Amino acid sequence: MLKNYLVITLRNLLRNKVYTAINLVGLAVGIASCLLIFLFLQHELSYDESFKDADRIYRVTSTVQKGDQTIETAAAIGPLAQLLPQEYPEVESATVLINMGQNAIRTDEQAFYTDNIIYADSNIFSVLDFPFIVGNPSTALKAPASIVLTSELAGKLFGSLEAALGKPVKYIASTFLVTGVIDQTAPSHINPGAILPLHFDAQTEYYVTDWNGIGGYTYLKLHKKEHAAPLQEKIADLYDRKATPGQSLAGITGATFQLQNITDAYLDKEKEAPVGEVGNITYIYIFGVIAGFLLLIASINYINLATARSAKRAKEVGMRKAIGASRAQVIQQFLLESVLLAIVASLLALMLVELTLPLFNTVTGKTIDSVLILSSELGMALLVIVLFIGIVAGSYPAFFLSRFSSAEVLKSNQTPKSGNALLRKGLVVAQFTISLVLITGTIVVYDQMMHVRNTDLGFDKEQVVAISIPSIGWVKQKENLAAIKQEFRRLPQVVLTTNAQQLPGEGAVKGDYLLEQNNRLVKKSINTISVGYEYLDLMGMKLSAGRNYSKDIRTDEQFRYILNEAAVKELGWSDAIDKRIKPTWADTANGTVIGVVKDFNYTSLHSKIEPLVIQLDPHFGKLVVRLEANTPLAATLSDMEDIWRKYFPGYPMDYSFLDESFHQQYQAEEKMLTIFTFFALLTIVIACMGLFGLASYMAEQRTKEIGIRKVLGGSVTDIVVLLTGNFATLVVIAIVLAVPVAWYAMDTWLQNFAYRTELSWWQFVAAGMGALAIALLTVSYQALKAATTDPVKALRAE
Amino acid sequence: MNKELLIETKQLQKKYVTDTVETTALAGVDLQIAKGEFVAIMGPSGCGKSTLLNILGLLDSPSAGSFKFLGQDITHASERQRAKIRKQNLGFVFQSFNLIDELTVEENIGLPLAYLGVSKAETEKRVTEAMERMGIAHRRNHFPQQLSGGQQQRAAIARATVSSPSLILADEPTGNLDSVHGREVMALLTELNEAGTTVVMVTHSPSDAEYAHRIVNLFDGQIVTENLNVRKHAAELL
Ligand SMILES: Nc1ncnc2c1ncn2[C@@H]1O[C@H](COP(=O)(O)OP(=O)(O)O)[C@@H](O)[C@H]1O
Ligand SMILES: [Mg+2]
Repeated sequence: MLKNYLVITLRNLLRNKVYTAINLVGLAVGIASCLLIFLFLQHELSYDESFKDADRIYRVTSTVQKGDQTIETAAAIGPLAQLLPQEYPEVESATVLINMGQNAIRTDEQAFYTDNIIYADSNIFSVLDFPFIVGNPSTALKAPASIVLTSELAGKLFGSLEAALGKPVKYIASTFLVTGVIDQTAPSHINPGAILPLHFDAQTEYYVTDWNGIGGYTYLKLHKKEHAAPLQEKIADLYDRKATPGQSLAGITGATFQLQNITDAYLDKEKEAPVGEVGNITYIYIFGVIAGFLLLIASINYINLATARSAKRAKEVGMRKAIGASRAQVIQQFLLESVLLAIVASLLALMLVELTLPLFNTVTGKTIDSVLILSSELGMALLVIVLFIGIVAGSYPAFFLSRFSSAEVLKSNQTPKSGNALLRKGLVVAQFTISLVLITGTIVVYDQMMHVRNTDLGFDKEQVVAISIPSIGWVKQKENLAAIKQEFRRLPQVVLTTNAQQLPGEGAVKGDYLLEQNNRLVKKSINTISVGYEYLDLMGMKLSAGRNYSKDIRTDEQFRYILNEAAVKELGWSDAIDKRIKPTWADTANGTVIGVVKDFNYTSLHSKIEPLVIQLDPHFGKLVVRLEANTPLAATLSDMEDIWRKYFPGYPMDYSFLDESFHQQYQAEEKMLTIFTFFALLTIVIACMGLFGLASYMAEQRTKEIGIRKVLGGSVTDIVVLLTGNFATLVVIAIVLAVPVAWYAMDTWLQNFAYRTELSWWQFVAAGMGALAIALLTVSYQALKAATTDPVKALRAE
Repeated sequence: MNKELLIETKQLQKKYVTDTVETTALAGVDLQIAKGEFVAIMGPSGCGKSTLLNILGLLDSPSAGSFKFLGQDITHASERQRAKIRKQNLGFVFQSFNLIDELTVEENIGLPLAYLGVSKAETEKRVTEAMERMGIAHRRNHFPQQLSGGQQQRAAIARATVSSPSLILADEPTGNLDSVHGREVMALLTELNEAGTTVVMVTHSPSDAEYAHRIVNLFDGQIVTENLNVRKHAAELL
């Protein structure tokens, strides 16, 4: 019997090619999207899972009070890592690390800028067992001049990993010996580029000794998971005993601690000062929903087409029942049919996923070679999807088709009605509503991106080049920066040069200040950037009061500040100039405000412009160069590189253009927009494929009627209007349903932006008209075909 | 026979070409039908009766030969022109009624008027008249499936006549009816013919053919004999 079913199924699929193609393509695309989302989700959830005993490794995070300010941070306070294993036996081991950000790691021959350079104590590998390819984890960081490289970096520097061991590499002004190479392929939120011993640099000492400042990132391995909750209280007690908040330079007045399982660290985007990588679960949700929708739309196609053509299968069902099949057997047969279709679609989907893997890998940074060798998780996911489609989408048609009684079908010449037309219409409306919401969403997102690009930032980001200065010891660094600034300035293509520790788009650091308010000094934490002379001029920023820094005024390098208008407004000053301001740590009485700059965007357009303090530091940070408009870039950069080599031989000139790097903060969003657009279009394509199939069955079913209408004088236009009108009504209903949903969803999304475009009617009209046009185009092909067939043939057909 | 000619065909041919075979459905038919005539076309199954009727009804076009309708040569008329002539001059009655299942009796009958662009009020008036004439007014809101075969055919005749066509083409109109209902339909067609409408009817039944003025016998796509119905003519001559 099974064989008989299979044969019938295959013949049916082969005979109805359009029907089969629509279902297979739709389902395959839906399944492939689900699989990709599944892989992505799996990747995002796999962060830090590969550490041994990951379930009992915890990160100590802190909730820090600074007066009435509360800060959630991923770092902990003071020497917890040192003390905890001694004080509390439930702590098996602990480590503390800090992230020094990006810098050059080099040999005599070459240098590579490396992200997330980590300083850690020598316990790190007993808590976090990064897999060593060569070297001994228990001794790797014992010697002060040792360094552990990732296999990627070691490969670039030395060719082979084995060759790397024991070789010297240079970092800042010192030489280190490679004591180990780790495999960095398993995703970890720390994502180290290189690991060095914490104690080689005396400047970092306070991170692990100061009970009154925010320190390094602290990781604990506990003996048992159950110890975590009580330990939080104990750490808080320890802090209370050891800390003396009155002496805190950072103004910390209190702190509590949380033990966060290491596997939750990556997706926690609430904490300030994250270690390395932070994920965004929102995107996973969004794409999960879209993939679900795709699958739903494809399943609806299946349901609609299967019931629409039921008239054709009625004879077969009647026949089967006449010769003794039970209804249950008929149901079985049709379920088997849908499961079989789903299986074939899954195979196609796997092929689709395989083809899109390279793209997927670049988006996620994952390195999946092939999905054709099914992992057990992926296999399970696939099985669930197949059963879902086979049973959920298959059951309605199966129950519907199995209802035909043999007597009715075989005796009368009447063709039975084709299923519940109302249900089909409802499902089509649902499909188009979903598509329309997604398309409207895409239009709004696109509009917002354009809006963001065209918003006046308060500075001129074109023609500005920023160059990282390698750390080569601060005395030399300072000298070279000053000299290279001068020399660049003499190039004819260069307008101005300066330096800055934070460029627009890179944000700011929090500084703690005492400020004059009603003749008293009040403590405030304010965003701060450090810049060189001529920074404001170079950036094209405008002063609204006071003056800019001047090389002629000796005192400008000492506690002279320029504030932005937002800061002045928040402080409630009517005249900001000469108001008193000083860092909480400084022992000075003469810090003053010398100027007020018009607000500019120093973070991103997601957030409003917050109060900002600009301080002068002409010695450190990136070198910033403004070029003449229309300079030939290649030649200019090569002139600059010639000069660069004199000062920083062996270091590549690592430059970026401000407009590009500022724009980069929207790159994630633009990437998402591209994917979003693609999927939104896919939904409408699949929905229209369903419509195409439905229209063809509708036209077929109405052949006789169309014939009669033509005999009675109906023109081709009359018939096309008649057939498309039905579908147009459905799309119009979908538009009516989609508008409020899309409006609400996109309005909510736009609230994320401080600078947002207005939702306007044209976005909705464009989406609606677009969908309507595409739907009508799809249907009118079938309608036209039906309307131009010979009526005589149509009427003869019975 | 000095009446104006409604239809005049010369050497009408129709060939159907399918993948493998070429069927000659009509092999040179010369036929003249005058206004007001009642013509029956008879012949064995497959001899080309329906094909001829469909060509006369402008539903199909001949492969060769010429065809004049009301003195106008329409052998090569476009589908648009033919549709126009169809809705203004012709009414069709089929063996299988060909009512639209999704429309009520009233809506079915009103359809030709809708395509002619007749106003709503006028349509209602004429549809009611037609239904009353056919004795199905009480069934106006029923769907075709809810009627008996005889009632369905009367609805179909009502639909064929509602636009007052000059020619009614009927393809085996009694084929699906029992003899009582068959006679009823023949009486209706005769009545219409007596009121001035030209009727061309395909039939298998000699007794139905008796109602016609003239009987055309078709065999293998050719007219073999044309007989005047003596009794009818006698009655007319009287
Ligand atoms: N659309 C068609 N394609 C091919 N052959 C056809 C077609 N319509 C009719 N025929 C053939 O033409 C011949 C005449 O058919 P028809 O006019 O329907 O005969 P009748 O109505 O006298 O029974 C038959 O042999 C029939 O098979
Ligand atoms: Mg026939």
